[in-house]
Amino acid sequence: MTSQGAETSVGGRSDRLSSRAIASLFLPVAVVGAALALVPLWLGDSRLMMGLAIGGLLFTCYVIAFNVIFGSTGQLFLCVGALAGIGGYGAALLGDRFGLPIVVSVLLATLFAAITGGILSWIAVRRSLGVIFTGIVTLIFALSFENLLLGLGDITGGESGFFLVTGSETFLRERIPPYYLFLGLVVLYLLVHGLLRRSHIGWAFRALRDDEVAAELTGVNVARYRIYGGLIGAGMLGLAAAVYAVNEGRISPTTFGFGEVDVVVLVMLAFGGIGTLFGPVLGAVVFTVLDELLIEFGQLRLVAYGVLIIVLFLWLPRGVIPTVRSLWLRIRGLESPGKLKSADPADGALEAVPEEIQSSD
Amino acid sequence: MTAAILDGLVLGLQFGLLAVGLTLVYGIGGVLNLAYGQMVVVAAIAVSLAIGAGLPVGLAIGVGLVAGGVFGLLMDKTLLRPVYRRHGEPRVLLSLLLTLGLAFIVDGLLLWRYPLEGLTLHIGGGPVEILGVPMRRGSLLASSIAVAAFIGLFLFFRNTILGRAVRSVIQNEEGARMLGIDPKRVRTFILVSSGLLAALVAITRSMSIPVTVTSGISLTIFALIVTVVGGLGSVAGAFLAGIILGIVSSISASLIGTFLTLIILLGAAALTILLRPSGLLGVPEE
Repeated sequence: MTSQGAETSVGGRSDRLSSRAIASLFLPVAVVGAALALVPLWLGDSRLMMGLAIGGLLFTCYVIAFNVIFGSTGQLFLCVGALAGIGGYGAALLGDRFGLPIVVSVLLATLFAAITGGILSWIAVRRSLGVIFTGIVTLIFALSFENLLLGLGDITGGESGFFLVTGSETFLRERIPPYYLFLGLVVLYLLVHGLLRRSHIGWAFRALRDDEVAAELTGVNVARYRIYGGLIGAGMLGLAAAVYAVNEGRISPTTFGFGEVDVVVLVMLAFGGIGTLFGPVLGAVVFTVLDELLIEFGQLRLVAYGVLIIVLFLWLPRGVIPTVRSLWLRIRGLESPGKLKSADPADGALEAVPEEIQSSD
Repeated sequence: MTAAILDGLVLGLQFGLLAVGLTLVYGIGGVLNLAYGQMVVVAAIAVSLAIGAGLPVGLAIGVGLVAGGVFGLLMDKTLLRPVYRRHGEPRVLLSLLLTLGLAFIVDGLLLWRYPLEGLTLHIGGGPVEILGVPMRRGSLLASSIAVAAFIGLFLFFRNTILGRAVRSVIQNEEGARMLGIDPKRVRTFILVSSGLLAALVAITRSMSIPVTVTSGISLTIFALIVTVVGGLGSVAGAFLAGIILGIVSSISASLIGTFLTLIILLGAAALTILLRPSGLLGVPEE
C-alpha cells in the first residue's frame, strides 16, 4: 500500500491540532447552533412555520453532506435525493414492514445509504470517471432509483407514497422537539465536517482537490479518500432523511426527487460557498426563507431559481462566504486573497470547481 | 416480435434524431445542453400557437423551425459566450449548470404563460401494413422525416465545405483555427442547426405522442442516454445507439412491462460509461 507512508506523514499534522484550532472550530459552530436554537421562540406557535424550519434544517444537513462529497473530494454526485431516499424509504420500510424499532431502522437505513455512496465512489474511482461522467452516472442512478420507487408500488406505495406508523405517538411527531433533534444533527454534521477538514483526511482531501496528480505522487491514496468522502457524505444524507421520514410520517418519491432535492441543494451550496464550513448553513437558511417568500409567484418561482443558478455560477462562482471574506480582508488591507489560502489552510475555502471555472477566464 | 422490432425501429429513429442535436453541440462546443428538451418544447409550443392563430399547418411548422433556430442562436450569442471562454472540463461543467438554469427559466415561463398548451399533429388515414404489421401513418411519416434528416446530415458532413469545417472543429479546435476556420462561426451554425433539429423532433414526435410544456426534462434525459451510449459528439453513434435502444426498449416493453424498460435503458447508459466511456462510436479522449 503506497498510502501507508503518507498516512503517517500527513497524520503528523493532525497531532498538532492545537487548542486554538479546536476553539476556532467549536466556537463558531456553537454560535451558529445557538442562533438557530432561538428560531422556535419566534416561530414556535405555528405548526406550519415549524414544519418549514425543520425542512430548512433538513436541507442544511443535505447541503453539508453534499459539500463533503463534492466540495471536499470533487465528486459531482447528482443523486443526493436518491441517497437520501435510501435512508428515508429504508427507515420507513424497515420500521413499518419489518417492525424493527425506530433507532435500529434509522441506523440500518443510514448504513445502506453510506454503503451505496461508497460503492458509487468506488465505481467512479475505479473507472477514473471525471467530474462530468461521475455526474452522469450518479444522475442515471438517481433516475433509476426514482423509477424503482414508482415501479415497486406494492411495497413503496408508488407515486403517492405512504404514511408511516413508525414514529407516531412519539416526540418525533410533536411541534418543537424534532426541530432540536435536527438542530443536533446540523451541529453534529458541522463538527464532523470541521474535524474532518482538520484531520489527516482533510489534508488529503485538500491535496487531491488542489492537484490530484501531485497528491497521488506525494503518496496520498486518492482513491481511498474519495471513497471515504462518498461513504461519509452518503451516510449523512441517509441519516438526515431517515430521521425526517419518521418525523414527517409520510414519504413519497417527490420527497427525494431530483428536482426537489438535488437542484435545490446545488443552488444552496453554490450560494453559500462550495467547500466552506458554514456556506451550507447560510445557503440553506437563505433559500428556505426565499422559497417561502416566492411561494405566491407560483410557476415564476422556477424562473427565479433558473435566473439565480445562472447569476450565481457566472458572477459569484465562489459563493457568498469566500467572496465576503476576501472582500473584508482586502478592505482591512491585510493580505491579498491569494496569500490567504496558504496563510490559513484550515479555514481556506475549498473552491475547487469554481476556481477552475474562473482561472481560465 | 416483428411488430415489436418495427415499433422499436420507429422509436429508435426518434431517439436518434433527438440525440443528434445534443451530441453535435457537445462535439463542437464542449457544451452539455441540459435545456435541449426545452428547445424541443419551445418549438412545439410555437407550432401549436401558430396553428391556434389560424395558420395552415405547413406554415406553422415553419414557425416552429424558426423558433428552434432562434432559440439556438440566442443561446450561442448570450448564455454560452462565457462558457466558450473556458476549456476542457470546466467548460462542460459551466455549460451544464447554466443550461440547467435556462431549463428552469423556460419551464417556469411556459408553465406560467401556457400551462395547458401542447402539440399533437394528427396524420389522417388508416394504418399501412408492413411485413404483415399494421403501422400508423404518423409513425411512418415521422420515421421518413428522421431518415431524411440523417441522410441529409451525412451528405452534409461528407460533401460540403462547411460540413468538413464542422468535422475539423470537432476533431481539433486549435488545428481548425490554424487552417483558417473560425470556430466561433461554426459554433453558431451548429447551435442554430441544433435548434432546427429540436424543432424537427417536436414535429415528428407530436405525430404519435403529444409534446406538452412539461415534456422538457424527460426529453433531455432520453437525449442524454442515447448520446452517452452512442458516444458524446458522434452523429453516427447517436443514430446507431438510437436504433439499438429503440428496439431494446420496444421489445422489453412488450415482454416485461414499461417501468423496467426505462431502468434497462438507464442501465445501458451506465454500463456504456463504465465499460466504454467514449460510447459506441465516439473517439476515445487522449
